[in-house]
Amino acid sequence: MSAAALTSVPVAHPQRADWTPVWFLLPAVFVTAAVVLFPVAQTVWLSLYDYVIYNPDGSRFVGWGNFVAVLRDEVFWISLRHSIVWIVGVVGLQFLLGLVAALLLNESFWWRGLARSLVIVPWALPSVIIGLMWTWMYDFNVGVLNDMLLRLGVIATPIAWLARPDTALGAIMLALVWQGFPFFAVTLLAGLQTIPADLYEAAEIDGASRWKRFINVTLPSISDVIATALLLRTIWVANSLDVILVMTGGGPGYATHTLPLYAFQRAYSGMEFGYGAALALVLTVLLLAVVWLYVKRASRDIAR
Amino acid sequence: MERRQFLKTAGAAAALSTLAKPALAQSGTTVRWWYHFDNPQNSPAELVAKFEKENPGIKIQAEAIPWGGGNDYQTRLFAAIVAGNAPDCAMVRLSWAARFQQMRALEPLDAMVNAWDGRSDIAFNIWKINRGADGKQYYLPLQYVVIYLYYRADLFQQANLQPPKTFEEFRAAAKALTKGDVAGFGMRGGAGGFDNWGPFVLGGGASFDKGGMVSEKAIAACRWYVNLMREDKVTPASAPTDSFRQIVDAFKAGRTAMAIHHVGSAAEVIGALGDKVSAVAVPQGADGKGWTYFGDESNAIFAASKVKDTAFKWISFLSTADNNIELNKLTGQLPITTSGQAKWTGHPKRFVEASSASIPIAASLPDHPKTPDFISRVWPTNMQRALLGEISPDDMMKAIEQHFHG
Repeated sequence: MSAAALTSVPVAHPQRADWTPVWFLLPAVFVTAAVVLFPVAQTVWLSLYDYVIYNPDGSRFVGWGNFVAVLRDEVFWISLRHSIVWIVGVVGLQFLLGLVAALLLNESFWWRGLARSLVIVPWALPSVIIGLMWTWMYDFNVGVLNDMLLRLGVIATPIAWLARPDTALGAIMLALVWQGFPFFAVTLLAGLQTIPADLYEAAEIDGASRWKRFINVTLPSISDVIATALLLRTIWVANSLDVILVMTGGGPGYATHTLPLYAFQRAYSGMEFGYGAALALVLTVLLLAVVWLYVKRASRDIAR
Repeated sequence: MERRQFLKTAGAAAALSTLAKPALAQSGTTVRWWYHFDNPQNSPAELVAKFEKENPGIKIQAEAIPWGGGNDYQTRLFAAIVAGNAPDCAMVRLSWAARFQQMRALEPLDAMVNAWDGRSDIAFNIWKINRGADGKQYYLPLQYVVIYLYYRADLFQQANLQPPKTFEEFRAAAKALTKGDVAGFGMRGGAGGFDNWGPFVLGGGASFDKGGMVSEKAIAACRWYVNLMREDKVTPASAPTDSFRQIVDAFKAGRTAMAIHHVGSAAEVIGALGDKVSAVAVPQGADGKGWTYFGDESNAIFAASKVKDTAFKWISFLSTADNNIELNKLTGQLPITTSGQAKWTGHPKRFVEASSASIPIAASLPDHPKTPDFISRVWPTNMQRALLGEISPDDMMKAIEQHFHG
């Protein structure tokens, strides 16, 4: 073998190696393109058309028309306002409840294993079941909540929780808080278990109170987990509509309309797929800020 | 298994499956049929087996589609048509007809119906209601219900009241029976509640014709209906979002004295209240005019089907005398055939009679592409806002007028 042939070997090898990850990734890229990118592109395309599903022949290109109509739509602004209350309220309360649950479950007590299993139950139930269950708990005539409050003397007459505009959104938020807090509990518990016991021992020797240990040791140690969980949950909650759909269908009136629900209603009830797509895209753009934060954090973690 | 051997086996299996395909295709015709029953545990398997036994070579692929208040079923069906994956035939409703027609999705059945023996067993007025706007027959009637008024016979007797025949008698009875935790009328302001509103507002003079929702009479009728809750306070506070489940359960629990629904809930209501419950036609206006909802369910064949004649064999089988009775036992509705109605024992007589008594004023909603959206979004949203005082009944009627006529 000549010297030239020998020297060419190291050049050829890295070239072949460079393509290997591409081939491995290709199926995943293909699947993602088919199930994510294609529908997204289709939604963008649809949003530029006045497309009503039962009148496909009457479809016409309207450009930004749907988006202009969205901005002029009173129900869009009502839904946006409710979405903000919904996201902040639900995610905030889920986080607080989840954090408290995680701290408790991190303590040592004899039935801790059982408690850790039970806390998962709300998270494991399908959203439709959660919606139906809470609807019956809130029921005006036969609901357990009114019955309990009446027996305790807290209220004098039953309250129509889901039929009053001042209580309906809060009542649904409570149901979703109950469903979603286990996500935070489990995620934060996993984070808590990674904190070395030495840190607490050192803080205790230094005379730090329980509260100070929580503020100066616990929270900084799980800050990455908290941030990731908050970002993920915000995206999920912002897009969730199943529980609202089951419990009130967006009513009474517009009292429980949120953006995804409104988009769903226009698309699936009115079958106005063009307008529904425009509403969904506006929601997507608003969520991009949150996604951007998530991606930025994920990139930072990878860079470490 | 060795890699080479596995590849050989897989290759042979693939080759065999290709060869087997023509044989399977030749062995018979498959008809895809979409249906929904209120009770999803009920299955049409026995009817399918009977049909397949009578018609060797035809296989029925019956697919249960979730109803979801009508929205789920409807959306899936329309989406399937657009996607080119519609079933050969499906259970459909009159209120969807205009949309189907706009899409040219339905196959006219006139020739097949004319050649069908069972045609004369279905009353002429039912054929008429089911006829398309262009005069062609696209729907093969399958079953029906008519909205009527359930009332607590025992409470009426105690209060020395007769079942109401007019709006004012209804209002007076509702007021008299509203006591303690019992409301006189279990109003349905949530999904599907247009069939509670219709008897009083459409029966009170409103119509779906241009200007028909904003006439003086129509607006006055809507004010009257909304005031049952806002001023007369004869309904539960939950009325704005109460739907089928809530009104039926409240009635069963003795929390309401009257409720509006159809024979489909009779078994459930009797199970809870027995002889304490009865039914009559919905009240009518002082001028004797009335309106109630003809709850239809038919079968249609889709234009894209490649097995239209075979599909007709199946849907006509379901609309034929005894088969239709068996089907209605599964759906809880009423047989569409004259012979089936005579033999029907599926519901106590008083409820079947209340249904029959309601037929003279029964009507369907307009054959308009926007009717489904009226049912599922426009009506409930505006009704709820009116019941809560967020908008006036006048504004509600204007919104409905605008929805249909711009």
